[in-house]
Amino acid sequence: MEIRFYATLRPLVGGRTVQLNDPPTTVGAVLHRLIEQYPDLNDRLLDDSGAVRRFVAVMLNGRDIRHLDGLATPVPADADMDIFPPVAGGAFLTPFHRAE
Amino acid sequence: MALGGFANRIARINLSNRSVAYEEVNEDDARKYIGARGLGVKYLLDNGPGVEPLSPDNMLALVNGPLTGTEVTMSGRLAFVTKSPLTGTVTDSHMGGWSAARLRWAGFDALLITGKADSPVYLHVEDNAVEIRDAADIWGLGVHDTVKHFGSGSGNSTDTSVMAIGQAGENGVLFASFMNEDDRAAGRGGTGAVAGSKNLKCVVVKGTNAGRWRPQQGEERDKFREAQRTHLGLILESPVTAPSSVNDDGSLKEGSGGLSAFGTNVLMNVVNSIGGLGTKNSQETQFEGAEAVSGETMRDNFLTSEPTCHACPVACKKEVEITEGPHAGLKMESFEYEPAWSLGANCGNDDPAVVAKVIDQCNDYGMDAIEIGNVISMYMEASQRGYVDTPLDWGDGAGMVRVAEQMAHRDGSIANALADGAAKAAAAWGHPELSMSVKGQAIPAYDPRVLKGEGLGYATSNRGACHLRGYTPASELLGIPVKTDPLEWDGKGPLLKIFQDLHAFSDSLDLCKFSAFAVGAPEYAALYESVVGLPMSEEDVMVAGERIYNLERYFNNQAGFGGADDSLPQRFLDEPGTGPAEGQICELDQMKEQYYDARGWDDGVVPEAKLRELEIIG
Repeated sequence: MEIRFYATLRPLVGGRTVQLNDPPTTVGAVLHRLIEQYPDLNDRLLDDSGAVRRFVAVMLNGRDIRHLDGLATPVPADADMDIFPPVAGGAFLTPFHRAE
Repeated sequence: MALGGFANRIARINLSNRSVAYEEVNEDDARKYIGARGLGVKYLLDNGPGVEPLSPDNMLALVNGPLTGTEVTMSGRLAFVTKSPLTGTVTDSHMGGWSAARLRWAGFDALLITGKADSPVYLHVEDNAVEIRDAADIWGLGVHDTVKHFGSGSGNSTDTSVMAIGQAGENGVLFASFMNEDDRAAGRGGTGAVAGSKNLKCVVVKGTNAGRWRPQQGEERDKFREAQRTHLGLILESPVTAPSSVNDDGSLKEGSGGLSAFGTNVLMNVVNSIGGLGTKNSQETQFEGAEAVSGETMRDNFLTSEPTCHACPVACKKEVEITEGPHAGLKMESFEYEPAWSLGANCGNDDPAVVAKVIDQCNDYGMDAIEIGNVISMYMEASQRGYVDTPLDWGDGAGMVRVAEQMAHRDGSIANALADGAAKAAAAWGHPELSMSVKGQAIPAYDPRVLKGEGLGYATSNRGACHLRGYTPASELLGIPVKTDPLEWDGKGPLLKIFQDLHAFSDSLDLCKFSAFAVGAPEYAALYESVVGLPMSEEDVMVAGERIYNLERYFNNQAGFGGADDSLPQRFLDEPGTGPAEGQICELDQMKEQYYDARGWDDGVVPEAKLRELEIIG
């Protein structure tokens, strides 16, 4: 399985892509396998509770895992995965004005 | 008028009789419409929404906001407001750099230009006065040579700003832009064509920060410093806008913001990953060559410097140098995400040197780098389908450069048609379906089938297809303020309204839109209060933004636009996307219904009751 990294994450894995042999079957397990290989990824991808940081985007076959089953999302054998650091984030709008 | 921040001086310039009259800012207008975009639209409305865009009657308004030229971070934007020759709507287009600050420091809140000079002229602005001067010896020059003529440098190396049109504006290219000495563009809507129709070559402004607004000692200064400290602090801490820095080996230091490090083109790969990158005139939605023209590739291989604008630590502008091939030696600025898409994936082109070259042509000839990519891609699809006798193939870089130059000069029948923009050219060729435009203006870099809220945003934008009127990708792609599913249409109407109203306010301050990646309505309100001296709550921010958005729509309604014009190209409604977007179309009708409900509009028209509620009419 090939995982593609972008922007400020690339130096942490030494390139654009990482190959995983016999990849795990969930997104969460894939991330933990990556963190085993590249420990610096831990703080960049996950918060203290082990959840994906708010503005980190993990895409499985072009879908953000926040719109799938999150870290429990099953990973098909031929899946594509893209991982982006926060390319945008911040306050922008107050909760008062958030769309319900 | 006693409002802070303003110079309280406007120049009304009639080029027909070469007169200049000065007046104060109307305080009621300033309270309601804030400044820049909002005030500019009010001036245009008062001038009459029925004027022909390229007639002497049309107004070209250069308007800054109450925060312009202050120490407030990211306060370096200037609004160009006019009736667009491309769309027939009101349009506002904002440039960065130092022009806005220098105009305020020279003593002006706005230059309101009407009429038509009987020979080429330029405006010289200095020390609270405007002079109309002869421009015969610079007519015909590109923007870069025009800037050199006046000896203006870039950034803070000079006290002079030159805002000029190039040959495209002179030749009536309908998507001609206004540029300044830093290659910052008032790019969209044809502001340069309006100037050209008036025989106006440029506006030269001399001003130093000795003329900037400063708070009074005591409570006013304390309040201002607190508001600015909070604003700046959030920008410096944001994972997007935090200034970038590098280690000894050239690698980025941890904490460098994505926008600061890679520029706007940091978006190229993320949009492509979800299948939202329109490819080959939006026939497909994912591009294999995206990485080659991405922000990451530009930083790794071509970056030479990172210039910035007035009062901005972010430095999102990336200056690059092409080192190989036919364009070797080219140094240029503004390799932004939008033109990298329009001239890249959209044209089936993965050669960054060609993208850089055509953007640089746009900077010098003065053309909208979003529209031109769509014009070329429309021509390429017409070629693919055998509709033209002189075809241009996908990814033909040399052909793209050649056509861009021909368009700037309206050289030849094909280029002459293309110079009217993608929509008019496609219609003239009998194939309007080939143009990916709304209200006559071509789309930016987010496919409406995949970022559906943005599709609604294109359709309902008051200036034609635009990503900056309501930037829903913040939510649909990046999770701000909450993550919404880009493929879900339900709820996007109310969401878009919030974005549109907030942007209308910040465009009227006039703060860079990228500030919104770090701050929001509370910070905008605090900055406004501390400079202008009027109370402003978060709720007031949103009401003022709504008022400005409705004012624009009221202008457009009177110019003949209604719900039928809030549309999208048919391709997005019934031709599914590809790759991750396979099977996806844009459910525009459903979203429009929710949107009009949220707005309180009747089929795209602002009812009288809403105009009264927002105090637009008495």
